[in-house]
Amino acid sequence: MTAASVAARASSARDWRGWTYPLLVIAAVLAAWQAAVMAGLLRPIQFPPPLKLASSAVELVRDGYPEGIGLATHVGITMQRIVLGYLAAVALAIPLGLVIGWVRVLDDLTDPVIAFGRSVATLSLLPLAVVWFGTGEAAKIFLIGYGCFWVMLSNVVAAVKSVDPMLIRAARTMDVSGVALFRQVALPAALPRIFAGARVALGVGFMVIVGAEMIGTIRGLGALIMEARTFYRTDITMVGMAVIGVLGLAIAVGLERIEAWLMPWQAREARRRT
Amino acid sequence: MVVADLRHQRERTGWRVMSTIARHDESSVLPPRPTSGAQPDTDRIKIRIDAVSKTFDTDAADMPPVLGQLSLDVRENEFIVLLGRSGCGKTTLLNIIAGLEVASRGAVHVDDVVVVRPGQGKGVVFQQGALFPWLTAEENVAFSAKSRGVPAKERAALCRELLSLVGLAGAERKYPFELSGGMQQRVAIARALALDPHILLMDEPFGALDELTRIEMQNELLRVWAARRKTVVFVTHSIWEALMLADRILVMAARPGRIVLDRGIALPRPRSRTDAEVIALYEAIWASLQ
Repeated sequence: MTAASVAARASSARDWRGWTYPLLVIAAVLAAWQAAVMAGLLRPIQFPPPLKLASSAVELVRDGYPEGIGLATHVGITMQRIVLGYLAAVALAIPLGLVIGWVRVLDDLTDPVIAFGRSVATLSLLPLAVVWFGTGEAAKIFLIGYGCFWVMLSNVVAAVKSVDPMLIRAARTMDVSGVALFRQVALPAALPRIFAGARVALGVGFMVIVGAEMIGTIRGLGALIMEARTFYRTDITMVGMAVIGVLGLAIAVGLERIEAWLMPWQAREARRRT
Repeated sequence: MVVADLRHQRERTGWRVMSTIARHDESSVLPPRPTSGAQPDTDRIKIRIDAVSKTFDTDAADMPPVLGQLSLDVRENEFIVLLGRSGCGKTTLLNIIAGLEVASRGAVHVDDVVVVRPGQGKGVVFQQGALFPWLTAEENVAFSAKSRGVPAKERAALCRELLSLVGLAGAERKYPFELSGGMQQRVAIARALALDPHILLMDEPFGALDELTRIEMQNELLRVWAARRKTVVFVTHSIWEALMLADRILVMAARPGRIVLDRGIALPRPRSRTDAEVIALYEAIWASLQ
């Protein structure tokens, strides 16, 4: 048996455990939660028990909340906003970051700007976004895009800067320089870190969405959560949170698949560590 | 910037012509360098290191230079080993020969042309980690073949040939992370050979390997070198490695980086560690390092 097949077998065993154990932990927490509410240790209005959440989820899918706006609509709208904002941010940040990371002077010039842009909490821009873009879709997409952009940009810059200088030297001994050096060596070498950045940026998108949907809408998961809060429907709020969490997880897994397909040279272990 | 480079190169080349003439005068007067029996193929000088000094920008003003006016001639197809403690400047010297670093003063000539940049037939094997991780073994070798303009059709055959030369037939499609340290260095050697270099510069290529693999790799290297004669400059801090490989060992000392011992070894390879002459040389080298 080769070393690679041993490694593959070991990691598939880890995948199996990787899913089973967390699910067991979640089931145990839910059971304890339900028991605590039934025993009167937790107030149902503060901690709606899991069985109540399940029936609320059914209500949300069947009747919608507010009446007539079903879960599918909320999810669809939210995903559309996240995807648009995220893609715009990534499409801008990648080329910009590649150039800044590769050209030392640009990095020196933009470094404080990037640190500044990153530090401005996205939701503090909410009032400005409304002034600039109104309360429609544009403001929401802008906020998500803003949050994703700076995280993505700083990661792409760091990815290019942290390319192993040894690889650059090796390529130079093969008479590779200039644009070819960037395209054939720096870019593929930076790819894993760029992908790590893309995952972090997506997480930021999901964090910003609830706030972005606080303005001028009753559709979208963030709006659902705010609306339910106003009417003390803690159960609906929790279901909304859970849906956001599951969506984020699903997309992260999807990105990991794309990553594995795009970068077969990355050992599983290495990918996990990034 | 390009213009400045060209002008710089032209100046250096002009100077080179004059210095070559001066050299010829000199060599007609001076007796040939005594070499204790080493047998390179020709006596032609391949690499001429001419009073090379190197100071780093970060060095304190009163610090002796990393390399101090170091001169050395390497003949064609000679296998020389630079041996010394960490920090003696051996890697810096190798990098200057490679064109990866610039000498503060003096110059390195390869075939009587001043070295101004890397590449151009100078293959380099680094200590470790210099393979492109996103390319398979085969693609790593092909990358280097492509860079010197080998047509796509011939590349595949060349890669297979070189990988089997270094004992890696069957591992063509493996990525570096799937290969052991020793196998990775074999790929690195094949990759350097794909440049069809006339000079092979090796910077502690086996330094990160365990001892058993290291001995195997030394034998492999000698086998490859026998098949493809090259001028080799090999950097190590292992006395045994130097004794097993070299036509000529140059022991270096630090600050200023200089050569303190220059010994040819005429013994046939593979060499035995218990050979009386090898042991005597070991002692002499050890003494020179004190």
